[in-house]
Amino acid sequence: MNNILSFKNVNYFYQTKNDEIFALNDVNFDIEKESFTSLVGPSGCGKTTILSLTAGLLKPSSGEILLDGEKKIDTKKIGYMFQRDHLFEWRTVWKNITLGLEIQRPKDKEEKLKKSEELLKKYDLYAFKDKKPRNLSGGMRQRVALIRTLALEPQLLLLDEPFSALDYQTRLSVCDDVYSIIKSEKKTALLVTHDISEAISMSDKIIVLSARPATVKDQIMPNLEEETPLKRRENRRFSALFDCLWRELTNENQKNQ
Amino acid sequence: MKTKKINSKTFSKTHYQYIKKLKRDKFLIIFFRIFVLVAFLGLWELLTYLGVLDAFFVSSPSRIVKQIIALAQDGTLLHHSWVTLYETLIGFLIATVLGYLIAVLLWWNEKVRKVFEPYIVVLNSLPKIALGPVIILWVGSGTKAIVLMCILICIVITTMSMLSAFLSVEEGKVLLLKSMNANKFQILFKLVLPHSMPEFISVLKINVGMSWVGSIMGEYLTSKAGLGYLIVYGGQIFKIDLVMASTAILCVLAFGMYYLVSLLEKKYRK
Repeated sequence: MNNILSFKNVNYFYQTKNDEIFALNDVNFDIEKESFTSLVGPSGCGKTTILSLTAGLLKPSSGEILLDGEKKIDTKKIGYMFQRDHLFEWRTVWKNITLGLEIQRPKDKEEKLKKSEELLKKYDLYAFKDKKPRNLSGGMRQRVALIRTLALEPQLLLLDEPFSALDYQTRLSVCDDVYSIIKSEKKTALLVTHDISEAISMSDKIIVLSARPATVKDQIMPNLEEETPLKRRENRRFSALFDCLWRELTNENQKNQ
Repeated sequence: MKTKKINSKTFSKTHYQYIKKLKRDKFLIIFFRIFVLVAFLGLWELLTYLGVLDAFFVSSPSRIVKQIIALAQDGTLLHHSWVTLYETLIGFLIATVLGYLIAVLLWWNEKVRKVFEPYIVVLNSLPKIALGPVIILWVGSGTKAIVLMCILICIVITTMSMLSAFLSVEEGKVLLLKSMNANKFQILFKLVLPHSMPEFISVLKINVGMSWVGSIMGEYLTSKAGLGYLIVYGGQIFKIDLVMASTAILCVLAFGMYYLVSLLEKKYRK
């Protein structure tokens, strides 16, 4: 089977003091191995809930989630990258990167340490190995966070708006970096984003969610042939895709109000 | 902003002036610090010498020095200082360790925390000195009672400060560790405890002050030796020199302890 992740008729309710909130309504989608998928939808629709379910931090109220063909979610197969880098200020860059290895203590720890060191060298962070995170720029910090996630060699990367805390200029270049790192390491990625152009420029597939309770409304394959997200933004079809997504999301937002 | 490598020979003129100004400011601050102390002591000495102030009531620097020398010569200085220092250190250590452990326990179990929250608030606002008579009844007079008083004064604030530091850990960082499959022990040791180190150091600083309050309070209540004892004794026999001399020694000891903690802080900051 070529799907690393499948959501099958997934429903999710979450409980608050005053209410039971219907967050996901019969969500179905598949993600192919080594593909890049984006989740877009009106804010508060349950995008992060989908990531949390995938990571096993939440359990679906009904329906099935298959990770690598298995019902039981093996969290070791997943790497979660958050909106904020969450680097630990008291640890050096190297110690931050090896945090996951310290926690999971895998049998092939030595190998993975070596691999992390290579990643650091490859992505120009080796010189900062023994520096504290406060000495790094926002873009560098986000790259360190990505390498920390990659150090555990997950098969599926969950990216929860990892660029939204960066300024626009940095955002575009980090976007390019992260994309090329993920592609060259042959990882599968699932990205949650608010940014339509980001979704179009990075994704093989864009899943459009409806307003809450979220359901899959549309799936779009941009099929842009350029190599990097930045170049894809110059594709002739880019603005047409942007308009199309923009309209779908605006419709959903209006329904929300 | 560019950070230039510091190389004394390539300083620009403006940079040189800037450094010079920094140095001069630092010198002025140290100078005035010493000046304030010298002026205070000098004025004190002068006013008592001239008879404007009565040295019998306010003592004077020279009398304090004489008193300290006298105490040192008959060996009581070392004895009394040691008694108080010992009580303070024991109280400080027990209160800090125990308070810290209780905070960890309360962090670990939310239900236990919620049950005990109101009690801790009440204990915190209770003036611990009110428990003095009860302490003496329970553990007897002497060192035990003094150390207990010291512990009571420090422990609640330790637990409260540490607990609020533990709880201030960002939820996102906890989620990150959970997504890495970390268990609660790992969340505690890899995240919560190192995150709260700065707060721990400030608790140590607070406790240095509080533990001296505790041991002196304890000695006021019940003691046969110690600096607090000397102060009470000196007050009763109207020997203000003795009171002031003991207070001066207390200042030095407390400052020494604070200094050790600040060394620890510097080491941690590195």
